[in-house]
Amino acid sequence: MAPLLTRWWRCRKGGADKSRRRKAEVVQRNVGSSVFLNMTAIGVHLGCSSACVAVFKDGRAEVVANDAGDRITPAVVAYRDNEQIVGVAARQGRVWNSANTVVKVKQLLGRRFNHPETQLHRSQTKCPVINREERPFYEITTGEHIKYVAPEDAAKVIFKKMRETAQSALGSNVTEVVVAVPVEFAPAQKKAMRDAAQGAGLNVLRLIHEPAAALLAYNIGQNSSSGRSHVLVYKLGGASLSVTVMQVNGGIYRVLNTHTDPSVGGESFTEALAQHLATEFKRTFKHDVSSNARAMLKLMNGADMAKHSLSLLGSANCFVDSLHNGIDFECTVSRARFESLCSSLFSKSVQPIRGLLESVGLSTSDINQVVLCGGSTRIPRLQTMIRDIFPHVDLLSSAPPDELIAVGAALEAGLLVGHDGLGCEEEPMAVDVSATDILVKEVDESGAEVFTTLLPSGTPLPARRHHILTGQGTLSSVSIDVYQRWVSRPPEKLAKIVLRDLQLKEEKHSISTVLTMKRDGSIHVSCVEQSGGRPEVVAIASKK
Amino acid sequence: NNSDKTNEKCFFVYTSMQVEVEPVGRWFEAYVKRRNRNTSASFQELEEEEESSEESEDEELQLEEDPMLRTLDPKDWKNQDHYAVLGLTNVRYKATQKQIKAAHKAAVLKHHPDKRKAVGEQITEGDNDYFTCITKAIEILSDPVKRRAFDSVDPTFDNTMPSKSEGKDNFFKVFGPVFERNARWSSKKHVPKLGTMESSFEEVDSFYTFWYNFDSWREFSYLDEEEKEKAECRDERRWIEKQNRASRAQRKKEEMNRIRTLVDTAYSCDPRIKKFKEEEKARKESEKKAKAEAKKREQEEKERAVQAELEAARLLKQKEEEEAKQAAQQAKKEKEIQKKAIKKERQKLRATCKNWNYFADNEADSVKMMEEVEKLCDRLELASLQSLNEVLASSSKDESKAAVVKQVDDVNVQLQKEKEAEVQARQAARGADQASGGGGSVGGKGWNEEDLQLLIKAVNLFPAGTNARWEVIANYMNQHSTSGMKRTAKDVINKAKNLQRLDPVQKDEINKKAFEKFKKEHTSLPSEDKAVPSERFDGEPAGSDLNTAPWTSEEQKLLEQALKSYPVNTPERWEKIADAVPGRSKKDCMKRYKELVEMVKAKKAAQEQVAARSKK
Repeated sequence: MAPLLTRWWRCRKGGADKSRRRKAEVVQRNVGSSVFLNMTAIGVHLGCSSACVAVFKDGRAEVVANDAGDRITPAVVAYRDNEQIVGVAARQGRVWNSANTVVKVKQLLGRRFNHPETQLHRSQTKCPVINREERPFYEITTGEHIKYVAPEDAAKVIFKKMRETAQSALGSNVTEVVVAVPVEFAPAQKKAMRDAAQGAGLNVLRLIHEPAAALLAYNIGQNSSSGRSHVLVYKLGGASLSVTVMQVNGGIYRVLNTHTDPSVGGESFTEALAQHLATEFKRTFKHDVSSNARAMLKLMNGADMAKHSLSLLGSANCFVDSLHNGIDFECTVSRARFESLCSSLFSKSVQPIRGLLESVGLSTSDINQVVLCGGSTRIPRLQTMIRDIFPHVDLLSSAPPDELIAVGAALEAGLLVGHDGLGCEEEPMAVDVSATDILVKEVDESGAEVFTTLLPSGTPLPARRHHILTGQGTLSSVSIDVYQRWVSRPPEKLAKIVLRDLQLKEEKHSISTVLTMKRDGSIHVSCVEQSGGRPEVVAIASKK
Repeated sequence: NNSDKTNEKCFFVYTSMQVEVEPVGRWFEAYVKRRNRNTSASFQELEEEEESSEESEDEELQLEEDPMLRTLDPKDWKNQDHYAVLGLTNVRYKATQKQIKAAHKAAVLKHHPDKRKAVGEQITEGDNDYFTCITKAIEILSDPVKRRAFDSVDPTFDNTMPSKSEGKDNFFKVFGPVFERNARWSSKKHVPKLGTMESSFEEVDSFYTFWYNFDSWREFSYLDEEEKEKAECRDERRWIEKQNRASRAQRKKEEMNRIRTLVDTAYSCDPRIKKFKEEEKARKESEKKAKAEAKKREQEEKERAVQAELEAARLLKQKEEEEAKQAAQQAKKEKEIQKKAIKKERQKLRATCKNWNYFADNEADSVKMMEEVEKLCDRLELASLQSLNEVLASSSKDESKAAVVKQVDDVNVQLQKEKEAEVQARQAARGADQASGGGGSVGGKGWNEEDLQLLIKAVNLFPAGTNARWEVIANYMNQHSTSGMKRTAKDVINKAKNLQRLDPVQKDEINKKAFEKFKKEHTSLPSEDKAVPSERFDGEPAGSDLNTAPWTSEEQKLLEQALKSYPVNTPERWEKIADAVPGRSKKDCMKRYKELVEMVKAKKAAQEQVAARSKK
């Protein structure tokens, strides 16, 4: 009796207190949405010259604009008396605060002091870099204090900014992140990158390689897990060029080889243009500005803007206020002029492609797709040059190339977030793949023998393929041959399966073959006539 | 089989390889998931297919129809055994989906109302027919969640556990089936077996770790008293849910307790655990023993080594002592022999000389000669004495005399030389002393009396505590000196210290010096002044010895106070000042004031110069 009474009472009460219930519902909905928002994750790409953040929300990855309205944030950190500024303001302030402005911090991350790259960076940057226990540190002088800033700390400031940007766009807290790193990053550098992100309060779900992120952004190989293709990722960033050949097999990416050249980048084009502008200025006003560091920085900023417009327009105007001795400088540069100025740089940037393809034993026709990323691949001349190398390949450049990697990272973050127990594989993971192509021999309509590849080499194992063979209905027995083929060698026969006692019929026989390959490389083949009949099974063991 | 003969089974050298891939993308995640589950989806399917096809063939024959099937009440479906309804009593929870489907199909074919109608049976209308039970059974068993719920409360499952006393005697026989039975609740596959008496420690350890961390999928939603679906409104539903949750949690807790108790009991009964514990204990004991023994041995060894060392040291010492003793005795003996020889020789010499009457004619000469001979006896070595004696024995008186005289002369010369050397050494020592004193003597190193006086004055003028005192003094000296010598602060310090010390050697020397020199010194530098430095170096600046009674510091203070309180334009200023300072006249005060002014001026000048120089 008692429980029933309670229930009745509860029902009455619930009916009476409707407004409270509604309130409770509202609260519950909010809780639900916060649970959902916790499922959001971001992808961050921290480049040498700029950083970009994309959020994964509602199944899509979107780049987020920062508080200045830019989708790309310059990866520049300026230290002032008691504040740290990131972004455009920091880059503009570089003109008068160059000694306390950290640029290209990515080059120093996780490197030792006596590493040649560190020394190169030291010679180029205006911000003093000192040696402290074999590690480079920036020497920042704000007011009377001198403080020593580790590259990780500078990167941390940028990550913080990226996190704030994402949070302002989402309106909620963001902790889960996937960070993209270059392929050639050493473990120490990866660790430094991870530490920097963690220092900014982010939980790094995974570090992924930049070219892999670019492929993910174009959704290459994600729709189906079969098939094999080769993709070339051409990345021309602010301060480095990296070309990577990737193999997509069974939806899994693999880096075949990569080439990095830190001497070419968007900045070298800007520099070439700035030099040209300096000579123009000298010719017009008889003043040499090349020794005036501040004027050169101003000129670089102007040249940068002009370069960006030249990717869209035929000519661009460059205007610098009070460049030298209070003289304002104005100059118009045509795209043709720019291309002739940078022609040697352009050829230097596309030249590694052929060498790289040669090193992995592929020809230009083996490449199925070319992905362009990095802001400098917007330059029309560069695109035509690449297109000339790959005449029959589609160049993927529809997405903004400088946001591509962040988008890919965000997509990966979306895949990972909420799947806790997956185990975080740091390093590129080792996966069993088939070492050879697995083929079946068929006879086509004309009677010629044709090999059909069921499992291309490099297919992640275990794998299974269905294949349907057709034969004349008048045949009473059919034999199926399974072959394996090493690269550019004639196929070797592995097994022969004979189906006997087939029913004679009018229409063609269709024989379904299921080929399963286990992780150790052993193969099971089973064949059956689809309309009925006894299946035949063959197992081919592998010998390690 | 026909096909087996025709199919060529080839075993090729064929390998898979490992490559590094990017941890990116959907298919990679799928791959990792599969791998972490340690099974490959595709291959598992393949295996399952094979298994099920085999089993279903066997199993179809074993379908056992429940004899009570026709009497079942569909309303009481919750208490029916769904496996029994479908005829799967012998497989139960092990039945695959395929088997269940097949069994259901068979049951439907047999028991469907339409079929039975065709046979001519009486059918109860609606849901009351026992066929509803079959429908309910397949409904439960085909849904994995519902099936799990039913499996959890499988009525045929034996929840009982052996007690301690049961397990004591026949551990493996009693507990083996119990653990095997309960292993079906594990969410993890590959439950470790209880094993045998011969199981290794690792095996037993992993067994108990597994069971203590047992992760059971058993849940008791099937026993829910009230059904959520029956609720009329949301609040009621929530209330039911709450009730159910509580009872489920309670049952789950009981279940966990059950497993825990089982494992505890097994653990306490396990003869292997006992064995391992004993072994461990024995091992520890033996280790401890071994350790103690080792320690003991080590200690003994050490002691022995120390003993041996001590023994060796003692022996060595003894030997050394003995040797030293022997050597000393030897030396003593030799010495004695030599002494005796010398004595003998001396006797001989004396006797010879006496024989010759000391080569003298008169008494005085002989006495002198006697002295000389005594000297000879004292000074000459054994060898020369011997040779002299031989000469004396073999030669005549004159020759002997000449030899003796020659010897005496030699000895005298030698004595003289020694004396001179001694004097020289003394002088050298003194010289060194003076050098270390930095020009200790008055005339040395350019310190004349005037300079000394000046120095004393300066030292008094700039008392201890003055800024850069010695520099100021040196400067003052350089300014006022008549000698024109340039002196550094170091020189001055040295000199002052020297004066302060006035070492006894110098005093001695002064005493010994000729009287006129002393007098000259005396006249130019009064003796009282000479005593001044050591007393007045650190004296007060106010100290002035011009008056009979020097200005004490109290008087000085009073004077200063007075000077301040009566400014320059006060009428009869000095009289008032003199009044303020008891025991001093107006003249005294004026004089004192002048002195002070002079002193201050000099001080300032000297300090300025030093400052200027340090600036340079």
